[in-house]
Amino acid sequence: MVTAAGPAFLPRKRLDALLDLLREGGRTVIGPTIRDGMSVLDEIATVADLPAGWRDEQSPGRYRLSNGHGDRVFDIVNGQMSWKQFTFPPRQKVGEVNRSASSGGVSFLPSPPDPDRLAFLGVRACELAALGIHDRVLAGGTFVDEDFRARRDAALVVAVQCTRSASGCFCTSMGTGPEVRTGHDLVLTELDDGFVVDAGSPAGERLLARLPGRLATPGEEAAASAAVAATRAAIGDPVATDGLRDRLMDQLDSPRWAQVADRCLACTNCTMVCPTCFCTSTSISSDLDGTVNVTERVWDSCFNPGFAKVAGGNFRPKREDRYRQWLTHKFATWIDQFGTSGCVGCGRCVTWCPVGIDVREELAAIAPPALPVERAFIRPAAATPGRFEITTLRASHPETADTATLTLVPTEPVLLAGLPGQFVMVDMPGFPAFPISVSRYGIDHLLLTVRGAGPATAALLDTPVGGEVGLRGPLGQGWPVDRALGRDVVIVAGGIGLAPLRPLIDVLLAERARFGKILLAYGARTPADRLFISELTTWADRGIEVLQIVDRSGPGWAGHVGVVTNLLDQRDFASRPTVAFVCGPERMMQATTSVLRDRGISPERLFVSLERHMQCGIGLCGHCQMGPFFVCRNGPVFTLTELGDLFTRDGV
Amino acid sequence: MATARLPRVGVVKLASCDGCQLTLLDLEDELVAIGQRFDLVEFPEATSRRSMGPFDVLLVEGSVSTPEQAEQIVDLRAQTKLLVTIGACATAGGIQALRNWSNEPEWRASVYPRPEEIESLATSTPVAEHVTVDAELRGCPIDPHQLLELLTALRVGRRPQLPDEAVCAECKRLGRICVLVASGTACLGPVTQVGCGALCPAYLRGCYACFGPRDAANTTSLATWLGGERSGVEVDRLFAGFTGYAPAFREASRRAVEVMQPAARRRRTKSKAT
Repeated sequence: MVTAAGPAFLPRKRLDALLDLLREGGRTVIGPTIRDGMSVLDEIATVADLPAGWRDEQSPGRYRLSNGHGDRVFDIVNGQMSWKQFTFPPRQKVGEVNRSASSGGVSFLPSPPDPDRLAFLGVRACELAALGIHDRVLAGGTFVDEDFRARRDAALVVAVQCTRSASGCFCTSMGTGPEVRTGHDLVLTELDDGFVVDAGSPAGERLLARLPGRLATPGEEAAASAAVAATRAAIGDPVATDGLRDRLMDQLDSPRWAQVADRCLACTNCTMVCPTCFCTSTSISSDLDGTVNVTERVWDSCFNPGFAKVAGGNFRPKREDRYRQWLTHKFATWIDQFGTSGCVGCGRCVTWCPVGIDVREELAAIAPPALPVERAFIRPAAATPGRFEITTLRASHPETADTATLTLVPTEPVLLAGLPGQFVMVDMPGFPAFPISVSRYGIDHLLLTVRGAGPATAALLDTPVGGEVGLRGPLGQGWPVDRALGRDVVIVAGGIGLAPLRPLIDVLLAERARFGKILLAYGARTPADRLFISELTTWADRGIEVLQIVDRSGPGWAGHVGVVTNLLDQRDFASRPTVAFVCGPERMMQATTSVLRDRGISPERLFVSLERHMQCGIGLCGHCQMGPFFVCRNGPVFTLTELGDLFTRDGV
Repeated sequence: MATARLPRVGVVKLASCDGCQLTLLDLEDELVAIGQRFDLVEFPEATSRRSMGPFDVLLVEGSVSTPEQAEQIVDLRAQTKLLVTIGACATAGGIQALRNWSNEPEWRASVYPRPEEIESLATSTPVAEHVTVDAELRGCPIDPHQLLELLTALRVGRRPQLPDEAVCAECKRLGRICVLVASGTACLGPVTQVGCGALCPAYLRGCYACFGPRDAANTTSLATWLGGERSGVEVDRLFAGFTGYAPAFREASRRAVEVMQPAARRRRTKSKAT
């Protein structure tokens, strides 16, 4: 029994006592073991399950095991599987979205977390860092992945300091190892005849106090330190991390992206084996009638062709776009998002790349962290994926041939407390959830203006009056109305882009005296493609200069024909302080903001609203990333200054 | 899809083994429910009832291998709203497309005692080379879950969830260890479309691409890597399999033979494991 403070020594033959302690309270111990000749993480029922005498040999694209190297049980540095297999499982039920066969009513049944009680045995320093990064990404912000947090809270972590290294290791460069410093309950360092054991948490100290054995001698402590120091020396410092963030972001046009894309298979292996990659998709299993729909959160990857797809196309169509997204996110924009690199230097992406692409060859130098400032949020209703508030469809008003405005009545008042430019995630049984901007906040209802662009939006438009629709929100950053106080306002809308701008117009009109001149320039494909036609006149009567233009004329049209910038390119916005809000197709916004800048509006007063592939709506699933931003959480409204040259760049 | 009339569904075959059709019958737990929701008007493996359309949905198995089939598929297309090809034969030409690389009359003469009685095209080709195809289910045979998802999506009205990712993604999610990296086994998973549940790697075998190439599969890079430890002929044989006639794999085979073979001995550490 160890009573005094300080590291203990556990003889090798008493390792079973540690397993017994870890198993107390019904815990299952997970650790490295050999299955079918492969190194995996799985249940350790007895000491014999640990890989005594086994070692790994790694090189880019190659991993081999051999045994017969003595008694040591932690000589395999790492394997393909990381601990995220257990803290953030590949498939995790999020909930059920059901429709009653009899009444047609809709129910949303989120799955409450129900984690297994696990003890992780053999967690390396780089992997502790990876768990810490996931804590930050998935549970450290405004929104939390509840299942992940529950699994983390339920797990006991027994770390092992590395006394061997693999060729892929670069923890030393990333500042994560090989020494174990934080994030563990217990830490072991393996010597020939046993383990030096120390505690890293109150729970660990309680375990340590009950462990058989004795205090470690100064000689044993020194031997443990020397072994880890030798590992550090063997790894060296393979990646120069000084200035890495800025250097990477300055090289978005490097010809190297195309070269590495010639080798890259876009097979997703690097992201699947990465202990920090967290991007996911929602998959739905429905019964044949779509009445019972189980939704699961499934590991996805930015290398998959469909990852950045929207109805109109793909934001990262080329393999080089996707490789650049992965590498710049991992080593650069991750720092902007989370204040830490996304890489812990475990080397898995190097070893498990089927064609041996080595990230260390793609890299040079570091980056001081700069945390993004998240603007204040109204906490949305049903903030977690899988949770939705039920709203009832009161009315549907057709706007154009393929677009209608739906009046939805919620029971949850927060849904009505949103800001202009915010959006909601819409969910219906059997369909993946999708984002729609709020086109008006009413006293007891909100309006969504929806174009039937795909099956899900078509199904939403087909919802009968009285039908139920799930909503989550309001989400994202809206139009900052306060920035327009006392200034002239230019609003430029293209097509359905007028819908997210309408709540802004409502606010400007409600307090008309507090703003200067207001100009609305609205472009549409044809006269019949214009939204809110009757209101356009009303707004003109209430002190807004309304200009309209269409690409192609139509019956009864006597107005302008051309593109929306034609309405602006003779204007002078330089003589009075002016703020502009722009929403429409991305090319239209690029052309418009270019003209507005030429006409005297500075980029920090130019606001645009971006579209990206949004699945979760709260920055957890990773789909909507654009450089350092999660468009759903940091946007969709951005200033041109924030976006910089990302705004006009393809494939980001 | 709450219409009064049930959708008329047909299942037909061209040159094939019938294994993909049987996948529908293998959906034993759902078969009755499917029968209640779809009017199976044509399905020779299940019923002797015959119909020649029109079809709301037609599942087509098999490749176009004879002059008769080439005419038949055009007729069927004209009678069908939604034509779905099922299986490696219909979507890529199948194993029988191996004859596309050879002299067909010679083959015919070597196999059949009276070759003049056999009417066969010189090539076995996928259905999409003959008519417009609306959707495809890959595999040899197709995966029952994907078939059920297709039917469910038709009912619900959503797009079927048929991911365009590599076998690797599902293999890793299932916690299987990469046979290519960990034992040097030739595996086409990185360039092959997922859908099978990463079946072969679960039994420590390499994927032989029965689901065919993914969209924009980088077969050149994988073939180059595999060629580091194999001759061009061996690499050719890997790609020229059940879906070998799919353009991406055809190109990889051609390169393996024409480009890699002369430089077969490469400077890379030889794997001790096989």
